[in-house]
Amino acid sequence: MRQSAGYILISVLIVLLQTTLARYLAIESIAPDLLLIWIVSLALREGQSTATVAGFFLGLLFDLISGKDGMLGLAALCKTVAGFAAGYFYNENKIVQMLGGYQFVLVVAVASIVHNVLYFIIFLQGTEVGWLDAVVLYGFPTTVYTAALALLPMFVVSRRSSQLS
Amino acid sequence: MYKRLFEIVQLFKEYFLLALFLVASIALLTFNENQQIRAIRSVAVASVGFLQDALSFIPNYFDLRRENKVLRELNLTLADEVSRLREGRLENIRLRQLLALKERGVYTYVSANVVGKNLQLLRNTITLDVGEQDSVAPNMPIVSESGLVGKIIATSDRYSIGQILLNRELRVSAKVQRSRVDGIIRWDGGPSLSLQNVVKTMDVKEGDHVITSDYSSVFPPGLVIGTVSSTHENPGTLFEEVEVMPAVDFTRLEEVFVITHIADSSRVDLEQHLQP
Repeated sequence: MRQSAGYILISVLIVLLQTTLARYLAIESIAPDLLLIWIVSLALREGQSTATVAGFFLGLLFDLISGKDGMLGLAALCKTVAGFAAGYFYNENKIVQMLGGYQFVLVVAVASIVHNVLYFIIFLQGTEVGWLDAVVLYGFPTTVYTAALALLPMFVVSRRSSQLS
Repeated sequence: MYKRLFEIVQLFKEYFLLALFLVASIALLTFNENQQIRAIRSVAVASVGFLQDALSFIPNYFDLRRENKVLRELNLTLADEVSRLREGRLENIRLRQLLALKERGVYTYVSANVVGKNLQLLRNTITLDVGEQDSVAPNMPIVSESGLVGKIIATSDRYSIGQILLNRELRVSAKVQRSRVDGIIRWDGGPSLSLQNVVKTMDVKEGDHVITSDYSSVFPPGLVIGTVSSTHENPGTLFEEVEVMPAVDFTRLEEVFVITHIADSSRVDLEQHLQP
């Protein structure tokens, strides 16, 4: 119960960070997806179901705050699928190794690619803009930036686990 | 029977959860115009706007220096332009009196600070520290001293969210100021805007200024959008590709004005009534 409350609190904080401070981290309009890093760490810590639920509600909260009329539900959908995909990498015997190793960054990158491809396929429906171009121009740099930022929590977990052992 | 069903659900619970949330997301995408969701969004916009406002004191030294230099240059240009516009206005008044033209409405501007920018993939929006208390409502145009910025799409009591020109969802009815050629301005994700529906035979040249046209029911006519940066013939179609460099520098947008301009409802009603 306490752990769930902690997760909810961190989730709300991360949504607020994403909507208020991400602009300070943005490079040429490419901002990292902090929500996705958190969803992936939940997936590797708690498994697929938790990550799917977290993906939906975090995405929905983000949609409510920043979404445009007509696109409410898009981030919820993409983050649900990304959380579900990240959940495939859950291994209850290797939680710390996964969170504190380069596998974490790799899973963030995979989840981010799944998220961005799905996002652009839906978002660009009915337009002349090709989703593949958008993925290359925006999705891929976002994935690289998000994965690079995922190194930070990875190092924290790695350091903490080496101190404990 | 129920036990077996429960076992199946337990066995595939991840897939059931995924299916449930996918259906919920798609339902939201489809039916999100309802009043309750608008009310929830209004609360969310107000909460985040408050936080973004509180954090907007964080200075960016390099941006301030650069902005200072740009403002000094702009000040010089504007002082010169004010003088010329004053002359132009006097001339305009005389000509309007002569032609007995109906005076265009003078718009009311509400000044606003940009307290947040959401740079999420192609959904570029800005958060402003003005809202319904300041008579700001959805669909009101946003401008800066350089030209058209975008339009308001959501409001709460004290904050509002604006969709900027660099947003794939926004389309603006526009015209080339010199040759009066009409087109539609939209953003396709590149560094510039695109003026579409311009037939190859039309007179559009590099350096032409692009402004909002009279056809828009949202934007008042004559707002500066940008300058034609290049034109390319598109083989196999009747249309020309016209790229327009926006007049506004969206990376340094900090202060804007909301024009409390609401489209003439009788005109919108008539247009909607006549549409097939």
